[in-house]
Amino acid sequence: MKVKTEQFTHVAEQELKNVRTRALLDYISSIIDARREEAMSSFSDPAAALAYGRAIRAEAIMRMPELLEEFEKKAAAHGAVVLWARDSKEANDIVLRLAKERGIRYVTKGKSMVTEEIGLNDVLKANGIEVFEADLGEFIAQLLERPPFHIVGPAINIPVDEICKIFLERGIMREPTTDPVALGAAARAFLRDKFHHLQMGITGVNMAVAETGTIINVENEGNIRFAKSSPRTQVSLMTLEKVVPTMNDAMHLLRLLCRNCTAQKISAYVSMDSGPKKADEIDGPEELFIIVIDNGRSRFYGDIQAREALRCIRCGACMYGCPVYMKIGGYPYGWAYSGPMGQVLNPLLLGLDKTQDLYRACTLCGKCKEICPSGIDHPKMFLSYRAKDVEGDEIYKGKRRSWKESAAVELLTWGIRRAWRWNLGAKATRPAINRYADDGKLKNIKGTFEGWFRSRDFPSMAERTFHERMDGRDSSETNHCRSEEEPTGKQCK
Amino acid sequence: MGTNTTTRDEILGRLRDASRGELPKRPALPPLVELSWSREHLIEKFIENLVEQTAVVHRCKDYVTAADTLTEIATLHRLHKVLASTDGIIETLNLRAWAEKAGVNLFFARDFSDRDSYKDFVFDGAEAGITGVDYAIAESGTLCIVHDKNQPRLVSLAPITHIAVVPVERIYPVYEQVIENVFGKDRPPHSHVTFITGPSMTADIQGVPFKGMHGPKRLIVILVG
Ligand code: SF4
Repeated sequence: MKVKTEQFTHVAEQELKNVRTRALLDYISSIIDARREEAMSSFSDPAAALAYGRAIRAEAIMRMPELLEEFEKKAAAHGAVVLWARDSKEANDIVLRLAKERGIRYVTKGKSMVTEEIGLNDVLKANGIEVFEADLGEFIAQLLERPPFHIVGPAINIPVDEICKIFLERGIMREPTTDPVALGAAARAFLRDKFHHLQMGITGVNMAVAETGTIINVENEGNIRFAKSSPRTQVSLMTLEKVVPTMNDAMHLLRLLCRNCTAQKISAYVSMDSGPKKADEIDGPEELFIIVIDNGRSRFYGDIQAREALRCIRCGACMYGCPVYMKIGGYPYGWAYSGPMGQVLNPLLLGLDKTQDLYRACTLCGKCKEICPSGIDHPKMFLSYRAKDVEGDEIYKGKRRSWKESAAVELLTWGIRRAWRWNLGAKATRPAINRYADDGKLKNIKGTFEGWFRSRDFPSMAERTFHERMDGRDSSETNHCRSEEEPTGKQCK
Repeated sequence: MGTNTTTRDEILGRLRDASRGELPKRPALPPLVELSWSREHLIEKFIENLVEQTAVVHRCKDYVTAADTLTEIATLHRLHKVLASTDGIIETLNLRAWAEKAGVNLFFARDFSDRDSYKDFVFDGAEAGITGVDYAIAESGTLCIVHDKNQPRLVSLAPITHIAVVPVERIYPVYEQVIENVFGKDRPPHSHVTFITGPSMTADIQGVPFKGMHGPKRLIVILVG
C-alpha cells in the first residue's frame, strides 16, 4: 500500500467537502457513545473490566520477548511452522515463496491490517497471484482501490450507488441494485466459489496465546473461518505485539474488544487454531504457517514510552471517538492505520518526518485515551512526538525546525528568564509583529513562523503591555477600565 | 521449510536487550457474576443472548422430542439434503433413523471418498448442517465446537442453515470454564476450536446489518433437557 501520510492536509480538505461522508460520520457520532457504553455496561463492573484489560496489555508488551518465545515453542509443538520477518519485504517474500512452491493461483484474505501495512496484495498481484479480499468491506475497498476508511468498517463510507457501479463493471452481479442486502448477496455468491476451490487462505491474527501456542481470530462474516477450513494451506500473519500471556487473558480481551469494536458481547465467530488439522480430519489446513512480523517494532521497543503504542488491540473505538476523525474520516491519514491509533503508530513505523501532520491533527481532548481498552495515552504520545520532531530526534527521524525558528525560540527562552529582558523584548517586538496584523488578527508571519500560522490565528498585540496599562501611571486608562469593564465600581487593580 | 533462525534471533535479541521496565501489578480480576447464576437462570440467559443475535431456539425435554422438532424444522425449511457431524450428541439423536422417517437424505463426512467430493457437497449440495456442540456459554449465548474427525469444520459453516443440538448440561456460565475444559493442563491440543454466536453477519455497507454474509444465514438451536 502506498504511503500517503504527507498529503494529510490536502486530502482532509477534500474530504471535508464530501457531504455524504460528513452525513454518515455525523450520524455515527450521534449514536456511537451510547452504543459502546451500553455494551460496556453488560460488565458487572465496567471500570474494573477496563482496568484489568489495560493491565493485561501493559504486561503483555512488557513481557513480549519471553511470551513470543513461549508462543513459538508451543505452536511449533502443535505442528505449526513459525517464521519470522524483519520487514515487509521479508514477510511478503515468505508468503510469495509459500504460494509459488504450492502452485497457488489465487488466495483469499481475511481482513488483516498487517497485510495492508506490508502491502502484501501488490506483491502477490505483481507475481501473478490473485488476491481476493474476502471481508465485505475490504472486498469493496479493493475493487475501488481505496485505502481502508476505518479499521473495522473499511468501506462503510462508500455510497451504495458506487458499490453497485463497480459490482456491475467487474461482473460481480448482472442486475443493478442499491439494496445493501442484495449487494452483500452478490459478493457472497462471487466469493463462495473462491472459498470452495481455495488452496491457500491468508488471515491476520487478533491474539496469539503464549500459554497454549494458539492463534485467535475474531470476525462476524465467516470469511476467516473459510480460510481456515477449506484450503490445504493456511498462512496467518501477525505482528510482534499480538502475543498475550494466557487463554484467560485472551478471553477477557475478547470481551473488551467486541464491546468496543462493534458493541457486541462477542462477535459471531471466534476461531482458535493450535496447529494444523490432524491426519484423520477431513477439512482444515494440512499445514499452518504463522509469520511473525517485526517491521520496525523491535527498534522502538527499547523506548518505554514509545512501546505503549504496541498495546493497541485494533478495536477502532478511538476513531469514532475522535473529533478530528469524525470530521475528516480515514483517508487523510494516508495509510493502513487511521484515527488516533494511526496517529500513534504511523509516526513510529514511518518516521516523524513523513507523518508531520498526523501527530499535530489533534485537539488533545483526551477522549481516545479515556475510552481505549488498551490503556494508551494518545495525547501524551503526540506531545512527545512533537517535541522529538522539533528537536530533530535521529532515531525517530524528527525534522527539526529551520535555523531561524530555532534561533527565535532560543532567544525567547533566553528572554523569559529575566523580567527586564522580557519587558524590554515585549515592548520592542510589538510594533514589529503588528506589521502583520490584519483586521486585528495575526494570520501569518512570513518566514520564520509560517508553519505555525497554518492552522492558527493570533490576536494582534496591544500597543501597551498589561503592566503599563495597570501600573496607574495613566489614570485615564484606569478610569476607562473602571467605567466600562467594572460597572459595579470594583477596583481594576 | 526450516525456521529462519537468524532473523528470529535478531528480532528477539533486540527485544531482550531493551530495558524491561517494572512489571505493573494487575488489579483484581473483576468478578464474574455469571458464576452465581442458578441452572435455570443460566439457560434463560443463554437463550436470551442467542435470540438477540437472531438465532431461533427450541427447547425440548428429551432427544425424542428433539427429533420431532428436527422434523418440523426440516418441513418448514424444505430440507431434502443435509450434512451432519458424527459427534456424541448426533449419535445419541440417532439421526439415521430420524432421516428415514422424515424422508431426508442424510450425509456424513465419512460418506465421501475424499476431501474434494466432500467439499463439493458441503458447498453446493447440503441445504443444512446439523451438529452437536461441545459446550455452550451463557454469558454471551455462545456455542463452542471443538473440531476433530467427528466434527468437521465446514458442516457448521458452508450450508445456509446451521442446526445445533445443545444438551442443557453443556451450558457453562463463562468462557473461562470452557477454556479450562478445552485447553487446560494435560489436555491433548485440539487443532481448531470455534465459538459461534448467531448467524454470519456484516454491516459493512453503510452500517446496514444483515445475516448470511459468507456463512449460515440461519442458526437454529435445539436445546435438550
Ligand atoms: S488505540 Fe485503543 S481505542 Fe484505538 S483502536 Fe487501539 S485499542 Fe482501540
